[in-house]
Amino acid sequence: MAERGAVAISGVHAVSALGRGADAQLAGVLAGAPAFRPVRRFDTTGRRVTVAATLPEVGTLTDELAEAIDTACRAAGLDAAARAECALLLATHGGPAADPGPDGGPEVPALAGHLARRGGLGGPTRIYTSACVSASTAVADAATMIRRGDVERVVVAAGYLVEPDQFALFDAGRALAADGAVRPFSAGRQGLLLGDGVAAVVLESAGAAHRRGGTPLATIRGWGRAGDAYHPCQPDPLGRGLARAVGAALRRAGLPAGAVGYVNANATGTGFSDASEAAALRLALGDVADRVPVSSTKSVHGHALEASGLLELVVTVLALRRGSLPVNAGWLGPDEACPLTVITSAPRPATTPYALSLNAAFGGANTALLVGAA
Amino acid sequence: MTAPAHPGRSRTPGPGESGRTAVPAAGTDRPREVRALAEARWPEAGDGAPPGVPGFVHSAFAPLVVAVADRCLRRRYGQGPAPVGTGTAIVLVSAAGDRPSADHVRATVAVGGRVGPLFFFQSVPNSVAGHVAARWGLDGPVVCLSPTGPAGEDGTVEAELLLYDGDADEVLLVAIEETPDGTPTGAVAALLGGGAGR
Repeated sequence: MAERGAVAISGVHAVSALGRGADAQLAGVLAGAPAFRPVRRFDTTGRRVTVAATLPEVGTLTDELAEAIDTACRAAGLDAAARAECALLLATHGGPAADPGPDGGPEVPALAGHLARRGGLGGPTRIYTSACVSASTAVADAATMIRRGDVERVVVAAGYLVEPDQFALFDAGRALAADGAVRPFSAGRQGLLLGDGVAAVVLESAGAAHRRGGTPLATIRGWGRAGDAYHPCQPDPLGRGLARAVGAALRRAGLPAGAVGYVNANATGTGFSDASEAAALRLALGDVADRVPVSSTKSVHGHALEASGLLELVVTVLALRRGSLPVNAGWLGPDEACPLTVITSAPRPATTPYALSLNAAFGGANTALLVGAA
Repeated sequence: MTAPAHPGRSRTPGPGESGRTAVPAAGTDRPREVRALAEARWPEAGDGAPPGVPGFVHSAFAPLVVAVADRCLRRRYGQGPAPVGTGTAIVLVSAAGDRPSADHVRATVAVGGRVGPLFFFQSVPNSVAGHVAARWGLDGPVVCLSPTGPAGEDGTVEAELLLYDGDADEVLLVAIEETPDGTPTGAVAALLGGGAGR
């Protein structure tokens, strides 16, 4: 059994409209150039909004996930024996096959077993369909499993590729930004835009990583999950659920609020949702909320729904390692409902080795992941 | 609504409630004990179709979740809400979420139609979980799973993990029963408590 202690992130891979691979994600979020373009993947005739952040060439979701899992495992240096011990926690949309094409592979729930077999992962599998906290909940659960000693190593994988059904639903719900830009925490924000996101992360006990000669990229220091108990779809305007998730992450990490040097916010560019998150940060961090640098990288890569938490975790890990904090694109000016230190013009240097990655979803679901530099 | 006094975890199980159950911890063969504080099914004897739920249309998915959750929670907390500070999570297990609604959306989009906005709000299982959470004051984590093994097993393991980890003191576990084509036909629920410590 694994020993208790730190949970290492020893391999990552991600794909988004910013490009393929970890380096492309980091370069993209530091450049701060939004990747939103007219959708060519399917017909958007009749939709109120017709842009998203999509890769020009993309495989089926199943194949992209399989490649992400394999690439993350190779990046972590896992051999076949190490893979055979890995659990696979998968975050994806339930329902009819989400793949853009008719030959997309198995549907949920068979998808996890299929991917585990393709990746040589022999541990338990689980599938999270908790909307926009699916991936971050999977990471929190993986960290718990490792710290408790259930398993030494877990691959968390997540995927969403922009497709016509969810696009039509978000359009019908008037959730998409009609001006074609995502402006988190900004005055004049009009909503979110969807984006491709496929990612995989290898988590393992620090001891297991050390024994096999692995080199951690970062650590998961803390995590928290909490609910609003407020509304089926709207966040608590006081941000109480998200604040409790942040508080739980800080407690598990044994860190004070002042240790947090960056927040990769959930902020989708939606009016009431971003304001709720600002309130949550104030509630959880106190005066630290005045000065901690905040950005939402959804402003450049879009909202990857079930995969958003993992894509944003990867970006946060890479930014911490580089020591450079991503820009919050689309900024028009401050909104008094969001009194935060938003990174608006150029990347900032990281001043502490700790960062929060936050996610929230329909149902009042909230998660916080506290990342530490290796 | 008046909240009954918190009965505490050690009270004798009442009607519709049951005692301890051992579940396997994730990835191990070590059993950990959680207690079923209350249980329910829909349908039970005399039930017809579950009542509709405001804001949810087209499908029996949300009505089944709400009906079985309400029944289970009433057996523990009367008319509710749950006592403040209980920290109750919701774990909702279904093979494919609200499949009838998703199929309707797919068919509508395939012919270039426009879907109604209510389908956006019910497009993920979180929404109805959030409805239950708001109705009963359940402020623990909201987790939706698609089962990779026997129905209910993933949910029980997830519930035990949340109880162990301390983000929840109790877990309302709801599992949807459905036909092979995804039509929801029934639901079971259990309110679980009593993690193994952290």
